Amino acid sequence: MHAPRRKAFNSVNAASLARWIVITAFLALTGLIYVYLSLQLYHLGDRKKTLENELTSLRAQNDVASVQIAALTSRSAMQRRLKEGYLKMIPVSEHNIVRLSAPSGPRGEDAVQPVANKRAGR
Amino acid sequence: MKWNSRIRCALVCLAFTALFSAFSFRLVYLQMIKHDEYAGLAAEKHVYKQAIYAERGSILDANNEVLAHNTPVETVVADATHLNNRESLIPLLRDALEIPAGELSEKLEGDRRYIVLKREVPESVAVALKERLRTQNLRGIYFERDSTRIYPNGSMLCHVIGFTDFEHRGIQGVESSMEEYLHGQDGYRYIEHNRAGQEIVIYRGQERTPRNGYQVHLTIDLNLQNIVENEIDAAMREYTPQKATIILMRPQTGEILAMANRPHFDLNQRSEAKPEQMKNRAIIDMMEPGSTFKIVCAAAALNEHKVRPDTTIFCENGLWNFGGRPLHDHKAYADLSVRDILVKSSNIGAAKLAISVGDQKFYEYIRRFGFGERTGIELPGEIGGVIRPPQSWSKISITRIPMGHEVGVTPLQMTSAMATIANGGKLVTPRIVRSITTEDGKTVSTFSPVVLRQVISPETAAQIGNALRGVVSDRGTAAAAAVPGFTISGKTGTAQKVDPKGGYERGKYVVSFSGYLPSEHPEFVGLVVLDDAHTTKPELNYGGLVAGPIFSRIAEKAARYLDLEPHEEVGKPSVAGRVALTNASRR
Repeated sequence: MHAPRRKAFNSVNAASLARWIVITAFLALTGLIYVYLSLQLYHLGDRKKTLENELTSLRAQNDVASVQIAALTSRSAMQRRLKEGYLKMIPVSEHNIVRLSAPSGPRGEDAVQPVANKRAGR
Repeated sequence: MKWNSRIRCALVCLAFTALFSAFSFRLVYLQMIKHDEYAGLAAEKHVYKQAIYAERGSILDANNEVLAHNTPVETVVADATHLNNRESLIPLLRDALEIPAGELSEKLEGDRRYIVLKREVPESVAVALKERLRTQNLRGIYFERDSTRIYPNGSMLCHVIGFTDFEHRGIQGVESSMEEYLHGQDGYRYIEHNRAGQEIVIYRGQERTPRNGYQVHLTIDLNLQNIVENEIDAAMREYTPQKATIILMRPQTGEILAMANRPHFDLNQRSEAKPEQMKNRAIIDMMEPGSTFKIVCAAAALNEHKVRPDTTIFCENGLWNFGGRPLHDHKAYADLSVRDILVKSSNIGAAKLAISVGDQKFYEYIRRFGFGERTGIELPGEIGGVIRPPQSWSKISITRIPMGHEVGVTPLQMTSAMATIANGGKLVTPRIVRSITTEDGKTVSTFSPVVLRQVISPETAAQIGNALRGVVSDRGTAAAAAVPGFTISGKTGTAQKVDPKGGYERGKYVVSFSGYLPSEHPEFVGLVVLDDAHTTKPELNYGGLVAGPIFSRIAEKAARYLDLEPHEEVGKPSVAGRVALTNASRR
């Protein structure tokens, strides 16, 4: 007479649940990606800063080296080394000089030596 | 009662409505109307404009040899509010920065947030100090990147290069005159800091990259400069003059090839230099040129066709009374040609040439040669000299000015005038800057020769040049200036020193020699000036005997360096006759 007793269950709308799970998962993933990317940005920013500092430091070292080269190869330094005997200068002999135009004529016995002012020289 | 409760409810609702309306209005006011203002104020709290400094450009010579360069240094500063261990910090800083402990303690007292401990700390020292601070966990010391100017050649060319102040502004020489090119343009970047003061790179805002200063290439050839510097040093040792100046210039272009002055100073230790050592006497010192000025009156008379080179002029046998005042020659001459007036350096002859031209015309020629005005060289502080107009001349001025008295000229003006003769009568503006380039060598600007005017005709210039060849011969006053193998045109000058109190100083002379080589196709013009040279005998203190040999040595070495081909037919002038001649009297 009585209708068969059926256990009362709350019905679950599987489709809806699945939809919410997907939405939640998507939102969670989006959040995680956002956080991950933000952290990546900070990390890359730090890397960028570190590289900039390294570059500046290398430039500074390069400048220091350039200045040292300029100082060591300057005329004053060369002359100092010449005086100290560290460098030696050997005069170029006349037969090793190639002139574009030949001397004007044969040199006599008492001819003037070209550009050799022994009289005025110290 | 019911009515009362309704009223109360309504009143409460109304109050809430009014309250939230007020909040809403305030919110709208703050967020929309005042948005920009408050956003700006907020940004000021955490956004900073970080300056990115441009590097100052280098100065190079004509062969790209470095004359002025930058080296990185750091400024060490302290923030007293961040210091965590003063006791450990002071000995550390004392050793690293070489500052006395007492001075450090005094500086770090109190709670000032910006204390400069030391400027221009070398990069290596700064790196070592940073490391030690880090390992000992000491805070409150910061490092600011900076740079300082280095001059590899020290005192060489010091007056031309000049130097900068601690803010990197040029205050002398090319450093000052080329400031706008050398300085560059600083950049900037808007940045945000975190609580620790570190930059948050991802919030980096607007940015402008700096433009480094341009490189300035001078016309100076360091090889020639070296020759000149060695000779001026030798002259200082030999004659111990008060001051000395030597200039080498290319007449066709006006390029200054070398310029040296004494006394001088070391550019890397400029703080120790005295003001007297810092003066570029080539452009800021005025002198009476003496007989070298005779080229002006001779050029004027020849150019105005008042005389010809072979016209003879009676030189009054060495004494001429003009305007009630005697005018002497160093030797009694009767008749001299115009050419010989220059060769023998006759004061009376030169005076008569000027008189033949007339006051006004002679004055015009002086001005046309560039005297009395700045030459326009790219160096700061140049003076124009003093050339009085004929209206303020005395009766005897026309006889004194031709021999280089009553006028004030700079050594550079005198060089420029001689270059005019060498250059076929064209007055060319002297210049010291050849070009301006970027760091990678791209040309920004090139300075071309500027011909100001044709002062005298090329024929007149050639006639004067020929006469000046005679000066550097056995017959002339400057035989000691000769360079065997080359023909030289030049003129000596020996002027008594002007006393600042008035009149002239007895026994003190400014001796000079100005000339060019080779006479036919001049490659360079040179001027040697020695102020108050000391010779073993007073009668040896002449331009021809003191400045002439210096010019000769410089010209010989310069000719060798420039690989000029000698004309071997030119013979050696004899020495014996020369000394006897030059000892006769002043010229």
